[in-house]
Amino acid sequence: MAIRRIEADVVVLGGGSAGTFAAIKAKNANPKARVVVLDKGPIETSGAIGRGMDALNIVSVPGYGTPEDVVEALTKVSEGILDQDLAYTLGQGTYGVIKDLEDYTGREPGDLFPVDENGNYKCNYLHPTNKPLYLAMDGEDIKRALAREVRKLGCTVLDRTPVVRLFTEDGKVTGVFAFNIRTGQHYLISAPAVIITSGCVGKFGMPRDGYLSGIYEFPGNTGEGFSLAYHAGAELVNMECFQTNLLMKDFNGPACGYVVIPRGGYGINALGEKYWSHGYWSGDMFLAVWKEFMEGRGPVYLKLDHLPEETIQGLEKILWGTERTVRGQFHKQRNENYRCWDSVEQGMEEITLCSGHSMSGIFVNKNTETTVKGLFAAGDCAAVPQQYLPGAFVFGGIAGRAAAEYAATAKAPKLKVDVDNLWKEIRAPLDRPDGLPVDQVETKIRTKISQYITPPKSDPLMQKMLWWIERMRREDVPNIKVRDYHDMIKATEVQSIIDCAEMATKASLFRTESRWGLSHYRLAYPARDPKWDGKYCVVKKNLDTNEMELSSKDVQKYKWDYPNRLEYDYPEMKHDLGKGFTHPPNDFNDPWIVEKVDREGMDIPKRMFVKKED
Amino acid sequence: MSGCDCKKYEWVKVDKSKCDGCGNCVEFCPRDVLRLDNQGFPYMAYRDDCWYCDVCKFMCQLDAIELETVPYLIR
Ligand SMILES: Cc1cc2nc3c(=O)[nH]c(=O)nc-3n(C[C@H](O)[C@H](O)[C@H](O)COP(=O)(O)OP(=O)(O)OC[C@H]3O[C@@H](n4cnc5c(N)ncnc54)[C@H](O)[C@@H]3O)c2cc1C
Ligand code: SF4
Ligand code: SF4
Repeated sequence: MAIRRIEADVVVLGGGSAGTFAAIKAKNANPKARVVVLDKGPIETSGAIGRGMDALNIVSVPGYGTPEDVVEALTKVSEGILDQDLAYTLGQGTYGVIKDLEDYTGREPGDLFPVDENGNYKCNYLHPTNKPLYLAMDGEDIKRALAREVRKLGCTVLDRTPVVRLFTEDGKVTGVFAFNIRTGQHYLISAPAVIITSGCVGKFGMPRDGYLSGIYEFPGNTGEGFSLAYHAGAELVNMECFQTNLLMKDFNGPACGYVVIPRGGYGINALGEKYWSHGYWSGDMFLAVWKEFMEGRGPVYLKLDHLPEETIQGLEKILWGTERTVRGQFHKQRNENYRCWDSVEQGMEEITLCSGHSMSGIFVNKNTETTVKGLFAAGDCAAVPQQYLPGAFVFGGIAGRAAAEYAATAKAPKLKVDVDNLWKEIRAPLDRPDGLPVDQVETKIRTKISQYITPPKSDPLMQKMLWWIERMRREDVPNIKVRDYHDMIKATEVQSIIDCAEMATKASLFRTESRWGLSHYRLAYPARDPKWDGKYCVVKKNLDTNEMELSSKDVQKYKWDYPNRLEYDYPEMKHDLGKGFTHPPNDFNDPWIVEKVDREGMDIPKRMFVKKED
Repeated sequence: MSGCDCKKYEWVKVDKSKCDGCGNCVEFCPRDVLRLDNQGFPYMAYRDDCWYCDVCKFMCQLDAIELETVPYLIR
């Protein structure tokens, strides 16, 4: 099959929430720009919001909050590791996003978003601030509306065609390589500007139920964006801050706290006691959950049974109507009912890397520029702390405009790629006669991630993780076997997951303190260390040596003086673990064993037999 | 797909009396799970990639497809 070559101005790598917004705004900014959108699925339904979404989790709208309030909330939950310009830009952009969404869906104020008696968008309290910054949304159809707009504007959309390589030349972006997961049709696309919007590392840790796709995030989001940016030489930050969401146990969809809490629900432990001070998903709250389990008060639940019947019915309508609609059926099968106190069991079932809910990702400035020329990033893969869906839209839009402007002035890149060899390399798992089933390799790396680096983080376990990474790269990855193109992308996914695991582990070992509650609770350093205040941990590939390099750099100077801490303490435990056991080199012979084998031979040692009485 | 390929293990079920084989569900499944079988009805060709997201049901104009249960391991 012949390769197809495309010349583009802007490539959008992932047509999810941020990617569709980026494509639309790039076309709006320059209708002549050749914009190509690539996605693993069809852009109408792929990504986190494919089946709709029920809220914009952080907004500032007239009458309720200001961009400064957004800065205050994010300063607190990021514990000071925040470029406040990013938070301010987010706050400033959300009103425009609301208007855009009404425009694309053709829906009126009061329909897609609720309005109050003054005609303002009606926000609720959620964040650890005294301002309401949460806006409910009846957003069943938003992804299809965004996709319609992308196609209407004349973008080239390559559905089911994931990007597997990103090229640079002299430190500038030159293009991408992608293939269709049904037909194997492959593409070499040259472009001076590439926007990475491929979402979080959703497939990272293994959910405890053991189902590979049974995760909170969209399972097509497997960290290619993180990995491609890394190999292009971009900086990534906060890779040590893990997302450890409190989910609806086993179902692993949102436990719906954000919908339930504003309406009077709350979290309880097995004794029926309320144990959170607030319901906002942040590291301190996850630490509180972890403590409940450690001290024997799990399982934990979301309590709804005290609410009036009409509130419960309203909640069922919202919770079973958008986002993860199979939730109702899941409850039914378990014989659960929101009118019983223990019907929504919660659990912290998996770890992921994401800046939508947490803060890991590709380093960007407020114009979404990464540290590589021509490379932009937005959404869950770009390190804007706890930006949620509004951040994907706001920064996706900024990225689209910025990339179109950059492409208009940049020279058309020359792509020097040996495509035949590259395609051979990518399809090796398909062509090799036999090997390891890719789903087993995925199971293996993800179970290792769960076992070795889930917080609280132990230094010896993290060291062992690095050993596994090395071993799997050497022994397993070169032996992956797949049966068709659909599965062939999984070989790339596994490698992205491994790259992300290495970045996450090394960053966790580099930050010699604990911060963000459970998200980076490191047993060897069980307290926040002021020496790390205002410091990022940066992961970057040295393009000369191909080594992963860790460094720290200063967070941009604060413009607003807000408290940068939520009230919590790490538990008192005996953490004095020392360095842990280091395995001696493999050719090491224990003299005691050598002497024993010499003396007793290789038979079962005599002392194992019960001596007969004479 | 590893393990049992048994059709009983498909949680996405098609009502053949309603389905006209239009392929909408196949085209819009975000995880590329579905294919049409040789009679023209959708089936779960890549069962274990399913995110139980309900999109297939949502995209079917004829109300012919349904998630009968959630995947066994999370049930
Ligand atoms: C279940 C759930 C509930 C949520 N609820 C809320 C809420 O109520 N309010 C809120 O504000 N936020 C919510 N969020 C968060 C919000 O949805 C995300 O932050 C946001 O959608 C992220 O957008 P994104 O574009 O970065 O990622 P996505 O929208 O997930 O898009 C990423 C896209 O990249 C594609 N992709 C991946 N790899 C490749 C590749 N190699 N090549 C090409 N394409 C690729 C994927 O197919 C996908 O379509 C929720 C998230 C989830 C998962
Ligand atoms: S969308 Fe409905 S009618 Fe069309 S093939 Fe799928 S199940 Fe059949
Ligand atoms: S539930 Fe979602 S992932 Fe599963 S087959 Fe249907 S559309 Fe595909």
